[in-house]
Amino acid sequence: MKDDSVKHPQAAAEFLKDRAQAKWHDSAIWWVRQKRDAQAKQLPEWEELRRLAREIKAHTLSQLDDYLAQFEANAQNNGVTVHWAADADEHNRIVHSILAARQVKKLVKSKSMLTEECGLNPYLEQRGIEVVDTDLGERIVQLRHEAPSHIVMPAIHLKKEQISELFHKELGTEAGNNDPTYLTHAARANLREHFLTADAGLTGVNFAIAETGGVVVCTNEGNADLGTSLPPIHIASMGLEKIIPKLEHLGVFTRLLARSAIGSPVTTYTSHFHQARPGGEMHIVIVDNGRSDILGNEDFYQSLRCIRCGACMNTCPVYRRSSGFSYSYIIPGPIGSTLGPSRDMKKHGSMAFACSTCGSCSNVCPVKINLHEQLVLHRKKAFDQNLLPTGKKMGLLAMRFLTQHPALFDLGGKVMRKVVPIIPESLTRHSAWSRAGRDLPPMPAQSFKEQYQQRSQNKQDKEEQQ
Amino acid sequence: MSARDNILARIRQNRPQASALPDIHAVPFIRYDDQFEAFATLIRNLGGDAVQLQDGQSVADIVAARWPDAGRTVDLTVAEHEEVDDPHAWHDVDVAIVPGQLAVAENATVWVSHPDNRFRSIYFLTLKLVLVVPREAMVDTMRDAYARIDMEEHGFGAFISGSSRTADIEQSLVMGAHGAMAALVIFV
Repeated sequence: MKDDSVKHPQAAAEFLKDRAQAKWHDSAIWWVRQKRDAQAKQLPEWEELRRLAREIKAHTLSQLDDYLAQFEANAQNNGVTVHWAADADEHNRIVHSILAARQVKKLVKSKSMLTEECGLNPYLEQRGIEVVDTDLGERIVQLRHEAPSHIVMPAIHLKKEQISELFHKELGTEAGNNDPTYLTHAARANLREHFLTADAGLTGVNFAIAETGGVVVCTNEGNADLGTSLPPIHIASMGLEKIIPKLEHLGVFTRLLARSAIGSPVTTYTSHFHQARPGGEMHIVIVDNGRSDILGNEDFYQSLRCIRCGACMNTCPVYRRSSGFSYSYIIPGPIGSTLGPSRDMKKHGSMAFACSTCGSCSNVCPVKINLHEQLVLHRKKAFDQNLLPTGKKMGLLAMRFLTQHPALFDLGGKVMRKVVPIIPESLTRHSAWSRAGRDLPPMPAQSFKEQYQQRSQNKQDKEEQQ
Repeated sequence: MSARDNILARIRQNRPQASALPDIHAVPFIRYDDQFEAFATLIRNLGGDAVQLQDGQSVADIVAARWPDAGRTVDLTVAEHEEVDDPHAWHDVDVAIVPGQLAVAENATVWVSHPDNRFRSIYFLTLKLVLVVPREAMVDTMRDAYARIDMEEHGFGAFISGSSRTADIEQSLVMGAHGAMAALVIFV
């Protein structure tokens, strides 16, 4: 389970202590962002695709109740049982009751951030059901008793040596063999046994099609497919915002998802589930858990357009340099930093400040969510609700006072330019930004305003001379 | 009120402003001059390969030449094919030859939804997956593909591109995560 009590600045400072690991994390994730760019550039219609995706989702959210009802009716026509869960508890109770009624001992799961959000694994384990996460990255973090640190690359915080050590202990692989191919195939052999002996399979949902009543699950590994084609029970858990109106709309979303997520033209498997395999049964659990409240918030409802590709975290300069575990909400990075505070400002407010407002997240988002603007609005809420640490609050109040009094601001700048160069280093060494090799830049002779005024004056003089 | 009615009522009450559904067909999408070339180039990076059946050649010839020591082989493209009563019974299949209905040039996927197949597990349990696709059944993009597909196999259908793969260990790409370790698309 995720530690939801962390505060971003402290946790990030902790992460950055291991400089080599932090640098690797940054560059590994940046590489995924570059692969995404390369894919986007191959399609002349890329920006039009983003526009279409945004508009399809905006339309769907504006009639979400109708589309959900349509989805339910069509799924039922296909012979699928549809369940509704108001919150995480209800979701877990529903899943458990399906499994308990059929004496399920082992459940194989494919990736689902929703079940992480609901805390399903510990709920089922406490009731005697073995839960096996089958996505390789999820399996790794499950064996380490950790939460995923990224929504698409759950184990991106780990080095292969750590995984080798873990697999040696848990799966009996050779000690010191760090070869990713060897380790992956060892996990494959182990998980294949679990697939073949599981009593039920659970998947998340990437898209739910109102028109056909089916759900689409995208994986590269094929774990969702094995987990649903072998056991007789398939449970699909979905947040209620996963709906799209028609099958044809997948012609937009499947073009965006993997390109945005991992810089690949598509996932290996894009599977459409409308019925259980012969002799089996299929259930869909539609979960609200706070989503309908976000829908009613004018500032934040656009976050429900999210298709969970993770592009916003791959591009985020703060995420790359602080890792998923620095964020208190189960979903890290820019999208998590709006969803978390929307859910619980007291708990997750610090996330909204883990942002340089560079806006890169909004620029890569395949459904064009105004992410960085939402984070600024959450900061305002955190301030208004008096949830900032005193130092930060006083700083902001001082800044507000200064910006409201231009003469004082000018004077302050002037004093700083004179005083800072003569402060002894021993006094600045202990500030939050100070560390070895990181000195204050030399102070300029003039402020920006003065330089600007001088430039305008020079230009004017020149024109007069001509 | 039930959870369902409660949720739907709250959504209705919280509806954001109305917004029109766009026409996704109004936008021009990429076209490929040589669809096979685009498909074949791409699939080689995705743990797969693509070939065109030559005159006088059979699918079985190509498969035998590629994997001369193949173990259990199941061919769903022939009318009289092996059947099993349990999806687990496909667990030791080495080569599965299955019909693909449609291929997509932009991402090297093949649509698989075979009305004459009982257990879909074969596509994912097999070590080597051979997809046999009519060469005229090729489209440029996923938009064209979705206009032409149906769920013909017990409500199931999948786009499959190349081999099962993962990069979950240090972003190193490894073929053969859980599903097929090799994939071959034969256009006939």
